[in-house]
Amino acid sequence: MLATALITGLVLGGTYALVAMGLTLQYGISRIMNLAYGETVIAASFGAYLLNNAIGINPLLGLALIVPLGFVFGYLVYGLMLRPLVARSRDAASLEINSILATFGLLFVIQGVMLVAFGTNFTSYSYMNFGVNVLGANIAANRLLAFVLAVAIGGGLYLLLTRTRWGTALRAVAVSPSSAALVGIDADRAARFAFALGSALAAAGGVIVSMYQTFTATSGVIFTMKALIVVIMGGVGNLLGALSAGLILGLVETFVATYLDPGLTLAATYLIFLAILLWRPAGLFGRAR
Amino acid sequence: MLEIEKLAVSYGKHIALHDVGLAVGKGETVVILGANGAGKSSLIKAICGMVPARGESAIRHLGKSLIGLPAHGILEAGIATVPEGRGIFGDLTVDENLQIGAYVRRARQGEAKRRALVFELFPRLAERRRQTASTMSGGEQQMLAIGRALMSDPTLLMLDEPSLGLAPVLVQELFAALSRIRETGVGLMIVEQNVRISLSIADRGYLMEAGRVVGQGSATELIEDPQVQRAFLGMAATAQ
Repeated sequence: MLATALITGLVLGGTYALVAMGLTLQYGISRIMNLAYGETVIAASFGAYLLNNAIGINPLLGLALIVPLGFVFGYLVYGLMLRPLVARSRDAASLEINSILATFGLLFVIQGVMLVAFGTNFTSYSYMNFGVNVLGANIAANRLLAFVLAVAIGGGLYLLLTRTRWGTALRAVAVSPSSAALVGIDADRAARFAFALGSALAAAGGVIVSMYQTFTATSGVIFTMKALIVVIMGGVGNLLGALSAGLILGLVETFVATYLDPGLTLAATYLIFLAILLWRPAGLFGRAR
Repeated sequence: MLEIEKLAVSYGKHIALHDVGLAVGKGETVVILGANGAGKSSLIKAICGMVPARGESAIRHLGKSLIGLPAHGILEAGIATVPEGRGIFGDLTVDENLQIGAYVRRARQGEAKRRALVFELFPRLAERRRQTASTMSGGEQQMLAIGRALMSDPTLLMLDEPSLGLAPVLVQELFAALSRIRETGVGLMIVEQNVRISLSIADRGYLMEAGRVVGQGSATELIEDPQVQRAFLGMAATAQ
């Protein structure tokens, strides 16, 4: 039972980490608190479902289609809806409030479209739904695939952001947008790009989640909240922090569900969240500023 | 090289700069002197594009007008700035700060050579390449800010109060480094409170007061100027 809980927890945590990485990019670099983030995740889940059931394109291939779409979607949302807010906001605090209000509206627009199109039913499809023996535990192959994909995409993103000049530039914007301008980084373009990249990650997370979980048109808010918790646990803008915090959250939830009571997972999640807010407000790995 | 005419800057109703005219020749070192609030920082900010200049202003660098260019456009034109407070990226390492300094297109060629030059100027940076910038001392951070600016291959380097908050021995070291940068042919425009040491490496200087240029001269003229001595060097008019 321990091995099963451990592996299930890591799979869940890998998905959380991936989804949270996108949010931390959007919040840390673009300074947009995107409340419609989870809706992007779920929209991608429905996309994978449609591709799989209607045209017979498996979710692995679907990933290659949906992730670029997520990028384009984020790029357009930033350009059309958020860019005017950024231009208008006097400072970071007012941008935060404006972006929360605007994306709160966007949440209901996307959710409404999905409700009309797919209804309120739980949706799922079957892909690689057979057991695999890992360290004596029987795990569904789709969960293992989900974990591998999350690690590959998250790891790739980490390398991109730490090993390339372009990635360093994005991190520089996260540290200080005003100084970024002094070294010739177009902070506005960087913000738009980071937001689009965040949406692409949300889309990747949505496709991956749909491989092994059921979802509904209204479950986006759960992803937004969990991603937010992971981002704050890991420290805003901190990718490695998001990765570790995501894995921790996945493990804690699974262990609580296995050994205590499945009904307590949400309570455990928020207990961690509260403890971190109280004692480590800069995140588990963040420095106090 | 840099030519400024009728530069005017205002923040709301407050006029920070009025009808400012000055020039920096190729490879020249120019010091801007003035009390707090004289408009020195506004001058730097207007040139590097951080605050907008008013309509009648003209700023040209190597014949190219800089008015209306975004901050990165001004960097591409060859002007790098070390702002007051340094503006380095605290969470990034020394190496990453320098790498990001060469972000602009004009800086891509010869990057390795300039990095070697920066490490030659500031050997301490070479020792701390992997250190997170925010964990370094104030002096080292100032070196990093200058090194980062040099990575963009500037023809003119502007520094806003580079000696602020540094111990006297570090100020000496800093100006020794600036003097070596000057020898490489980069033009320097330095806003400084530390008048004596900045004039010692300068060719010329301008005096600013209440948002205007009220005087100018060669470095040797300025250091002898009674007005400068009275205002900045703490000497009574009758002394000497």
